[in-house]
Amino acid sequence: MFNFNIEFTGEFVAFFLLAVCAIVGAVLAINFTKVVHMALSLAFTFISLAGLYVLLGAEFVAFVQVLLYVGAITILMIFGIMMTKHDGEGQEPARPLLETLAAIGCLCLFGILFYGIRSAEFPAEAASLPADNTLEIGKLLFTQYAIPFELVSVLLTVAFIGAVALAKREEDPQ
Amino acid sequence: MTILSSYLTLAAVLFCVGLYGVLTKRNAIIVLLSVELMLNAVNLNLIAFSKYGVNPSLAGQIFTLFTITVAAAEAAVGVAILVVLYRSRATVNVDEFDELRR
Amino acid sequence: MSTFFAEYAWLVPLFPLIAFAILTATGRGAKRAGAWIGTAATFLSLVLSICIAVERLSGTSTDYIRQIDWLQVGEMTLTAGFEVTNLTSLMLVVVTLVSFLVNLYSQGYMREDDRISTFFAYVALFTSSMLGLVLSDNLLTFYIFWELVGVCSFLLVGFWYQKPEAKAAAKKAFIVTRIGDLGLFIALLLLFWYMPGNALDFSSIHNVFGTQGGVIATGITTLIALLIFVGAVGKSGQFPLHVWLPDAMEGPTPISALIHAATMVAAGVFLVARTFPVFEASPAAMTTVAIVGAFTAIFAATIGIAQNDIKRILAYSTISQLGYMMLALGVGSVTAAMFHLFTHAFFKALLFLGAGSVIHSVHTQDIREMGGLGSRMKITAWTFGIGALALSGIPPFAGFWSKDAVLTEALNKSPILFIVGVVAAFFTALYMARLYFLVFAGKPRQDGHAHESPPVMTIPLIVLAVLSLFAGFVETPFNGWFGEWLTGETADHHGSGLVMVVSVAVGLLGVYLGWLIYVKGTISRDIVSSRMPGLVMVLERKYYIDELYHLIFVKPLYAAGKLLEAFDEYVVDGAVRLTGRAANALGRLNTRLQNGQVQSYALTALIGIVILLLAIAGRRFW
Repeated sequence: MFNFNIEFTGEFVAFFLLAVCAIVGAVLAINFTKVVHMALSLAFTFISLAGLYVLLGAEFVAFVQVLLYVGAITILMIFGIMMTKHDGEGQEPARPLLETLAAIGCLCLFGILFYGIRSAEFPAEAASLPADNTLEIGKLLFTQYAIPFELVSVLLTVAFIGAVALAKREEDPQ
Repeated sequence: MTILSSYLTLAAVLFCVGLYGVLTKRNAIIVLLSVELMLNAVNLNLIAFSKYGVNPSLAGQIFTLFTITVAAAEAAVGVAILVVLYRSRATVNVDEFDELRR
Repeated sequence: MSTFFAEYAWLVPLFPLIAFAILTATGRGAKRAGAWIGTAATFLSLVLSICIAVERLSGTSTDYIRQIDWLQVGEMTLTAGFEVTNLTSLMLVVVTLVSFLVNLYSQGYMREDDRISTFFAYVALFTSSMLGLVLSDNLLTFYIFWELVGVCSFLLVGFWYQKPEAKAAAKKAFIVTRIGDLGLFIALLLLFWYMPGNALDFSSIHNVFGTQGGVIATGITTLIALLIFVGAVGKSGQFPLHVWLPDAMEGPTPISALIHAATMVAAGVFLVARTFPVFEASPAAMTTVAIVGAFTAIFAATIGIAQNDIKRILAYSTISQLGYMMLALGVGSVTAAMFHLFTHAFFKALLFLGAGSVIHSVHTQDIREMGGLGSRMKITAWTFGIGALALSGIPPFAGFWSKDAVLTEALNKSPILFIVGVVAAFFTALYMARLYFLVFAGKPRQDGHAHESPPVMTIPLIVLAVLSLFAGFVETPFNGWFGEWLTGETADHHGSGLVMVVSVAVGLLGVYLGWLIYVKGTISRDIVSSRMPGLVMVLERKYYIDELYHLIFVKPLYAAGKLLEAFDEYVVDGAVRLTGRAANALGRLNTRLQNGQVQSYALTALIGIVILLLAIAGRRFW
């Protein structure tokens, strides 16, 4: 059932490289001991993913990915790391049972997903999406998806205000 | 093996790695980052479907935009909560938070 | 020819039953009043019994039977009812009289006991059961009352349950008699099976076995008779099952009197007398009864010589006398057996109550510590003496006439049985003389604070002494009135001068020997024990019967019990504990899951999802 007879087109080579980058970044992120290293290797994964988006013809999403994930969220996390202390790393007691079970669970889940993917049938042909997809997205956002878009912007505003309110240091009574 | 299956498999790998990170990492910030990784795996799926799916359309990309936005909001609130927790408990280790038991 | 009182015979057991109900309802609050309620109830029963007896005496020859249908199952009907015959009316009088006197006596004897009303409640129930047993017209109700008597004896023997000996004795009495009860029960079932029409009433039994004959095969008849006899053996303390009776002395003394004179032990003899046609139909059973009776008579009498406990001596004498009754039944004379039962009831009750009076006064039961009480307890001494003479078979006391009747019947049947009976009579006289002289004659062996008992205790003694003196005259070799009245047949008087002479001679010889040993001291007391210490030892240990039973029955059963206990402990309880532990362990596991760690929760959720997905995916393959 596995037919790996894929022609080595340029797209596939690019996909393969980016995919390897993404997986390596993710696995490294899990294996690093220092928090900053983890955050940075995840940022690497995010950039790889942005490349994949470009490969999939979603340039706008790729830009947003770079801007938001790599630019905003990772930096936010690094700020979070800096604001909290991380002395006790490396000498934490191991939790073998939890880790083993989690590994088994994740592998099983992957197996099931992989089995699902392998047994699903997809159209072989790629659809022709509009070339200028940023323009099209903009149109859609402000016509068909106007209300969800506004709601999401409200959500984002609320979240940021909330975050500021939460993280603000309590006023000293004196 | 179509190109879509490759994307989906990659997404599944990333998702499971992220899930493993969520389940095993002590540091709350890494847990949050792992959640972001899982979200990204989902985003990859959405975008792959928007090109190679049964009904290819831009809706997948737009959905991804929303997901990214929500993820950003989640990250912001999450880090804020972590900072507050750190202030009160002087730790960001997830296994030291067992308030759910009380 | 009226049956006026007989129609109300069912009231006789009812009075004590009501007393029992009242006393149980009031509990310990009744105190002295409780005692009077019990006494009054038995007195009413006594009056009614006497009325019935007088009515019977005035010439009613037909038996009064009244039955009601009790249970109806398909074609079968079980009846319950009562029957008044000359035999039952006699028993009614004996039981109510002794019971009444015991009640009266207990007013004094049990005065200081906290649970006096409980005691009277038990006594009332005991009396009521025995009266019900006497009146029963069929074997089934008889059996029910029979068991009730057993229960009451258990309760009363173990009345002082604070004493471990009393507890053990109560259990022993109950368990040993149960062996006999089982025999009776099997006999009951066999009778139910083989009797035409499943009839269990005594008149049918009389007809089937007596007048008709041959309806039931001889083998089955013998079996039934022997099983009935097993029941009687258990209840009446005959040889293999006699061990409970001496131990039952742990109960209060009035109870010993009641058990030994009127109620419990008489039930066995009464049972055989009541089902006598079954025995008559089987010569083998008759022989067995006679041999067991004779053997028990001599066996218990010899043990009686070596005992030192006043009540135990009397207990063995009871066993021995019951042996005489069985002997009489075995040689075919209901008259002699019932006559001996009748007289024995009086003098044995007298002896026990006298012994109780002595114990009450000196606070010991060991006759070696008594002595010289005759001068300080005149009434007790005199009445006890009358009882002892009656038991020893000295004329003109009651025991002489009845024992004489038994021995005469035995001689007619078999000289060997007669000789055994005579030897037993000699031993009886000897141990009674020993008992009497050690207790009442000689010098006090104890610091004297002995005193005569209160009138409430001595009056019953006097009444019983009078009866022991005169009750024998209802049936003498010269006057067979009692037998005629009892059996309705004109007995041929075969009063044998030889028997009378021999029995008087051995009685007097026994008493004289006792006098020589224990009063005059002409013969040393140790003459036997110094020459044959083994023999005395064997007698003192009661032929090691208890030890033997302990070895043969108690220990293996105990071991089996231990085994089963271990089984219960480790298998049954183990299973139960395993269940509990499993639940507990599951709970602990769940506690560990419930640790407040978000990641564990998420992991659990993940595993759950995986399992769900696997289950859904797995459905494809089958």
